[in-house]
Amino acid sequence: MVIERKWKKWLYFYIPMAVFILFTLFPFYWMAVTAMRPDGELYRTFRQANATPFWTLAPTLEHFKGLMQTTAFPQWLWNTMLIALVSTIISLVCGMFAGYALARLKFRGSEFLGTIIFITYLVPQTLLFIPLADIIRDMHLGNTPWALMLTYPTFLIPFCTWLLMGYFKTIPKELEECARIDGATRFGAMIRIIFPVAIPGILSAGIFAFTLSWNEFIYALIFMSSAELKTVPVGVVSELIRGDIFFWGQLMAGALLGSIPVAIVYSFFVEYYVTGLTGSVKG
Amino acid sequence: MTVAAPAERGRVSRLTRLLESETVLATALLVPGVLILVVFIAYPFVMAIWYSLTSIRVGVVGEFVGLANFTKAWGDSIFQTAFKNTVFYTFWATIFKLALGMWLALLLNRSFRFKRIVRASMLLPFIIPTVLSAFAWRWMFDPTFSVINWVLFHSGVITDRLPFLSDGDWAMWCAVLVNTWRGMPFFAITLLAGLQTISPDLHEAAALDGANAWHRFWHVTWPLLLPVTLVVVVFSVIQTFSDFQLIYVLTGGGPANSTHLIATYAYQIGVASGLLGEGAALSLFMFPVLFAVVWVQLRYMKRMEGH
Amino acid sequence: MKRRKFLKATGAGFAATGLAGILAAHRAPVFAQANTIHILRWNDFVPAADKVLREVYVPEVQKALGIKLNVETVNANDIPARATAGIQSGSGPDIIMLLNNLPHLYAASAVDVSDIADEVGKAQGGIYDASQQLNKVGGMWAAMPWSVVPGMIAYRKSWFEEIGLKEFPKTWAAYHEAGKKLKAMKRPIGQTLGNTFGDAPTFTYPLLWSFGGQEVDAKGKVALDSKETLESVRFMTQFWKDAHDEGGLAWDDSNNNRAFLSGDICASLNGASIYVAALNAPDKFKTEKGAPMHTDILHAALPAGPKGLHAYHTAFNHMVMKYSKNTKGAKEFLRWAHTKANYEKWFTVQKGFAVGISREWEKHAMWNNDPVMLPFKTAPNNQKRAMGFGGAPDKKAAEAWNKYIVTVMYAQAAGGKMTPEQTVKWAAGELGKIYT
Repeated sequence: MVIERKWKKWLYFYIPMAVFILFTLFPFYWMAVTAMRPDGELYRTFRQANATPFWTLAPTLEHFKGLMQTTAFPQWLWNTMLIALVSTIISLVCGMFAGYALARLKFRGSEFLGTIIFITYLVPQTLLFIPLADIIRDMHLGNTPWALMLTYPTFLIPFCTWLLMGYFKTIPKELEECARIDGATRFGAMIRIIFPVAIPGILSAGIFAFTLSWNEFIYALIFMSSAELKTVPVGVVSELIRGDIFFWGQLMAGALLGSIPVAIVYSFFVEYYVTGLTGSVKG
Repeated sequence: MTVAAPAERGRVSRLTRLLESETVLATALLVPGVLILVVFIAYPFVMAIWYSLTSIRVGVVGEFVGLANFTKAWGDSIFQTAFKNTVFYTFWATIFKLALGMWLALLLNRSFRFKRIVRASMLLPFIIPTVLSAFAWRWMFDPTFSVINWVLFHSGVITDRLPFLSDGDWAMWCAVLVNTWRGMPFFAITLLAGLQTISPDLHEAAALDGANAWHRFWHVTWPLLLPVTLVVVVFSVIQTFSDFQLIYVLTGGGPANSTHLIATYAYQIGVASGLLGEGAALSLFMFPVLFAVVWVQLRYMKRMEGH
Repeated sequence: MKRRKFLKATGAGFAATGLAGILAAHRAPVFAQANTIHILRWNDFVPAADKVLREVYVPEVQKALGIKLNVETVNANDIPARATAGIQSGSGPDIIMLLNNLPHLYAASAVDVSDIADEVGKAQGGIYDASQQLNKVGGMWAAMPWSVVPGMIAYRKSWFEEIGLKEFPKTWAAYHEAGKKLKAMKRPIGQTLGNTFGDAPTFTYPLLWSFGGQEVDAKGKVALDSKETLESVRFMTQFWKDAHDEGGLAWDDSNNNRAFLSGDICASLNGASIYVAALNAPDKFKTEKGAPMHTDILHAALPAGPKGLHAYHTAFNHMVMKYSKNTKGAKEFLRWAHTKANYEKWFTVQKGFAVGISREWEKHAMWNNDPVMLPFKTAPNNQKRAMGFGGAPDKKAAEAWNKYIVTVMYAQAAGGKMTPEQTVKWAAGELGKIYT
């Protein structure tokens, strides 16, 4: 280890780290303060002497309560969770299969197919949502969670495939060959040998997919029309902005509560996430 | 694992035997994913291209007009601004995300107390839904209530407020800032993973040879990280170039149509004004650029694999 | 086998949804099933009004007509996206609330509601001019007007009195003078010139008209590039610098509310939401002297220009969609809702924020409750023009409206990005691309 002097450590590490942490987390602190600020304090302009943007002396939970009780927020939370989970599973399965096929199997057109899958990532949702409305209606999926569970994979599968492809490429071929010599089928070897080894990569792809599903707005807006089926982003924007009044307290409360489930998932898996990407980026 | 007895092998189904063929197995494995992509992307995409070639409006089928929508867009001054904005936004946001992400990754690569918590919390901007964090930022930039103005005003740095979102140029930089804030964690964590694959021995060797920290970074770390970097940059460019939610929430395209991106303008034309054909054409303008970016990356990756 | 299981699961998923749908259709009595109406509206500024819809209309229309009413509310900005998706895919809400002249844009997908409009018009002595213009497309009523949200200038009574004005300025020149004085006292006028659907066009279009400018002439040719328009832009540029909060270039429809309620601005064109918010929370919103803010708020019409006094008020209309499977029920519902007894329930909780569609509602006793709201009563009757004036408020006018051409014309000059001459030429050019 290169030994550093104390002051160097402060200059090159602690201070930059602190600045990064401040920059990254200040908005969350801000949201938390706004969410707990009583309404009366929200409307103090920056010029006024009694404006206290960084803290509030009368924290209140009324916005959180209002959010949970007067809007269908808990329901939206549940919907978004469910949809994100199912979309992630579908995309992961498709991504695992496709990634394996493209990385480990030799067949004609594999490169072409890989490129095509990658290219579908380029098509923006704002272009697709109108024609998609037609298709969703034809399949009678309108206003059901399946409309989202089947359309979200369209922007999750390409990324999962690419990520897992890279990961699979780093796994030595010997593993499969040994298994097949021992009598396992190709399919069996894939499922029983390769996939378990690739779990970190699968986890990281899954986490990323979960985050993207959680974040999606426009498909959720268009395909879901019942209040109880809405997702968190759509519901919060719909309910908490009335004409020209923004319910900032509740909006920020919703923003915080809307990030917590995913943050929890991350905290469990973040180490896996990091090591998971390690494998794929080598490839 | 024991070798299957001859009698058992006979019972192996035809399906299993079929799946031994690489081509058949590959096809079977690719079917679910490709099916979803064909039904929910390829088909609507073709429809969208068809829209862009007709004068279709909401509820009115319209007729084939060839490239008229594209030429109208090309001559539209708002579109030209939107195109310039999109390039500006993508370029600067990517550079900042890369630079800051790399720096943060280097910092996180060290061992320190609370490493786990810090790493996890750094991801928060990426986790929170874009619409919601964009609202929070909008509130922070608000002309009347901005906390940033408060800090600067009360510390005497400014006497009148800064026009964060009231001025077109300022607003674009604010958008770059928010996008950087949002995307930097993704860069950091991905690059961090890459950094972990670099053996510390390489750094030791370089240090023994007299290289200082900057040299070590530039000659050891950076080249080894290049593949990862490239991939992350490409994905980020694609996302940023076709970004919609952030500007939609932050400025709505204003002031005076000066912060529109291609995606937000296409939406305003296609959906708000009902001109679906023109909106589709506007969206499709993003394609050549994205395609070029992807092509460059694929070429590079192929070259890398050649080594 | 994973693959098989997966396919089975998807298939089951599809089947389950489809099956559930079929079962539901067969189980429910045909009569009740056929009479469901899904109505899509905005999240009303006045939450009490949405409560009336959900807690009063829903049970009562079920009793009266056997109609199951399903009320969905979204952000007003998101309605065009839903409407477009619904029309293109052929399925969605049966009734969609549309702002301003959106009925012209979607007319091809609308059910003719002329019978309802004629009935209501006869019963109430005639629907407002502007609502007629905005909803009638080619002689047929494409949508049924529901309400109008008038925009008035809300202003601080005490501050204007301090500079010697007992009444609100009646001309632009006088308003300019007043604004100059007030801005010098750090009390500027607050007006949005941003890309926002409510307050910005309702200010800029009447401004343009009051100086004699107009977008097109009677023949549909672009007529924006005129000396009247130039005069209005020159005025606005000076007015902006002298009297306005210059952050207004980035404001949306909510910023002026906040700024006013915080005591930052002296006046702003707005719906009644500023006053109503102050009224509902007298302890939260106080003047600098400690009195409840709502005691210091009065309303007035926009000032007059050299060529008259003009106004534009946001119209809220209901369109029955052609793709609906229950157009009969939808029309029945609308008829029912417009009867005096039922409409009144919605009208009274609005307290004047949204008003009715005919002069009949100007006579309602609700107006006697609060003199501060009186200017809103007669406001819609004074509106004679709509966007695209010179011509009809048709889809070309809608495109211009949605591109914010008129608003941006003023914003560019006020923000110093272009000279008045340049910006007028720019705007005329943009209009030219639309009115080809």
